[in-house]
Amino acid sequence: MHSQLLPLLRNEVVKAVRRKLPYFGLFMGGLICVLTYVVADEIGTANTANAWGYVALSMQLVFADIGLIFVLVFAAMLMSDETRSGTIRAALAAPLHRWEFYAAKVIIGLLYMIAMSFVCLVLSSLLARAHYGFGPVADSLGEIYSQRTALANFLLAWVLSWVPLAAIVCYGLFLSTMIRSSGAAVAASIGTLYVIEFTKHLVGVDPYIFTRYITYPWQVLGQVAQGVGYEWRPEVWKMLGLCGVYGAVAFVAGLVLFLRQDLNE
Amino acid sequence: MTAPALALEDLCKRFGRIHAVEHLSLEVPPGQMAGFLGPNGAGKSTTLYMIPRLVHPSGGRICIFGADLRRDFRQALRSVGVMVEAPAFYEYLSARKNLQLAARVLGGVGSRDIDETLERIGLADRQYDKVRTYSQGMKQRLGIGRALLGRPRLLVLDEPTNGMDPEGTREILGFLQERVERDGLTVFISSHLLHEVEEYCTTVFVIDKGRLVASGNVRDILKPHERVIRTTFVGEVPYPATLLADERIKRVESTSPDTLEILLAAEDSAWLNQHLLRAGYRVSAITPRQKTLKEFFLSITGDHRNA
Repeated sequence: MHSQLLPLLRNEVVKAVRRKLPYFGLFMGGLICVLTYVVADEIGTANTANAWGYVALSMQLVFADIGLIFVLVFAAMLMSDETRSGTIRAALAAPLHRWEFYAAKVIIGLLYMIAMSFVCLVLSSLLARAHYGFGPVADSLGEIYSQRTALANFLLAWVLSWVPLAAIVCYGLFLSTMIRSSGAAVAASIGTLYVIEFTKHLVGVDPYIFTRYITYPWQVLGQVAQGVGYEWRPEVWKMLGLCGVYGAVAFVAGLVLFLRQDLNE
Repeated sequence: MTAPALALEDLCKRFGRIHAVEHLSLEVPPGQMAGFLGPNGAGKSTTLYMIPRLVHPSGGRICIFGADLRRDFRQALRSVGVMVEAPAFYEYLSARKNLQLAARVLGGVGSRDIDETLERIGLADRQYDKVRTYSQGMKQRLGIGRALLGRPRLLVLDEPTNGMDPEGTREILGFLQERVERDGLTVFISSHLLHEVEEYCTTVFVIDKGRLVASGNVRDILKPHERVIRTTFVGEVPYPATLLADERIKRVESTSPDTLEILLAAEDSAWLNQHLLRAGYRVSAITPRQKTLKEFFLSITGDHRNA
């Protein structure tokens, strides 16, 4: 018998587009892009010497806080909101496997993350194009990186930026599965994220916390934009490894928990 | 031999130290409405939650029309429509959209089926309104509509008339009864309302402390209280003290200006009728009173906790 994943995913899309929170998140992300554009000249760093730099700065500012929070909140509400309202019981009293339901939740979380990233990137790029130019990276002595090289790094940074955010989605969904109240799940996800952010340097665990890589791809693009030497490797492998481990652990833990959960009142 | 619509075999569920359901076995024959009665905390809801695997059994087996739920999950659940607890919906969506979400997962349910369902549950006029604007009764009807959407052969309902007015209750139960008689649907319905079960169900299963304490034909199990006689008088109503002078009358209670409930020492309503007539009272109705829930569970379980 065929999988129910696709119908479930379509249901998730219907539910997501009919809610206000996802739009509010996109709006807030867009707002940061606009604000970055407004204050870019005042920042006056080498970051904003060209469109590549502006986009790198804008995306860093979006996903350092607001964008990250909305992706996390969206994920943290996916399961807990259904558990709190009881809709999860109606949804699962159908001929479908729990893993299919969970997988659909993960996918919609990832799709929202990509949508957020896409909207902010497009908006940043449009604003950047209006003010700067997406040409080759150059200084007074001439071209440092060709437009093609800059574009390749731009696209690579965009795709790589999804990796730590995907781990965030899995983390949010794990908490959403564990905590049956949406408010508590959101509070726990944001709370733990900030506690880790504030204490990781103090206790010396920063190299082992995946959130350090959330803006890393855009930092590398910033280096490209400044015309300085840049290296994706070996750091990018560490990013992929660390985020992969965190994401996989959160995904598996959430899934196992969900498969074993009794969904009575 | 036809497989039972629902067979629970030695079903158990433990929550830590609490044994919510203990070695419960029952068979619901196909094509009838079966009641599932029990006091609060008896394990009714836990049992019903185990049917669609919302709660994982600690032991035992569940078969739906012969398909083992553990081995053939999809096949088994394809024949079942379930409504547990107060039905929950995506309140920010319309009734129609909620049914469309359910239909997409069930498969093979078209737009016409949704129209038909909305018509049957009397919500066609309000189908595009958001569910958050619905009353509890309307949600209850929508929940039943959703459970019926995939044309199930077995319908499992947990307290389906909760929050509904008497007219709505009659309408819904009458509708289900019609589906049972016309389409051969099997309905397994949990309730704490004896009259509801008595009026609509053919078979009844009684559970207490997670164990089956009685089962069988609803008329046998829920037979009226033969010793408590509801007597309606025309004209003069006797004083309770006058009646209590006879030792065969144990208690007299006035339930309305013209009606008394008389507890007899033995089941003998014929004697009571004769006794009242001889004393010069005119009796218009004399009927054994339906047992209250409290009396019913007391008679079945002999347990004062339930009372």
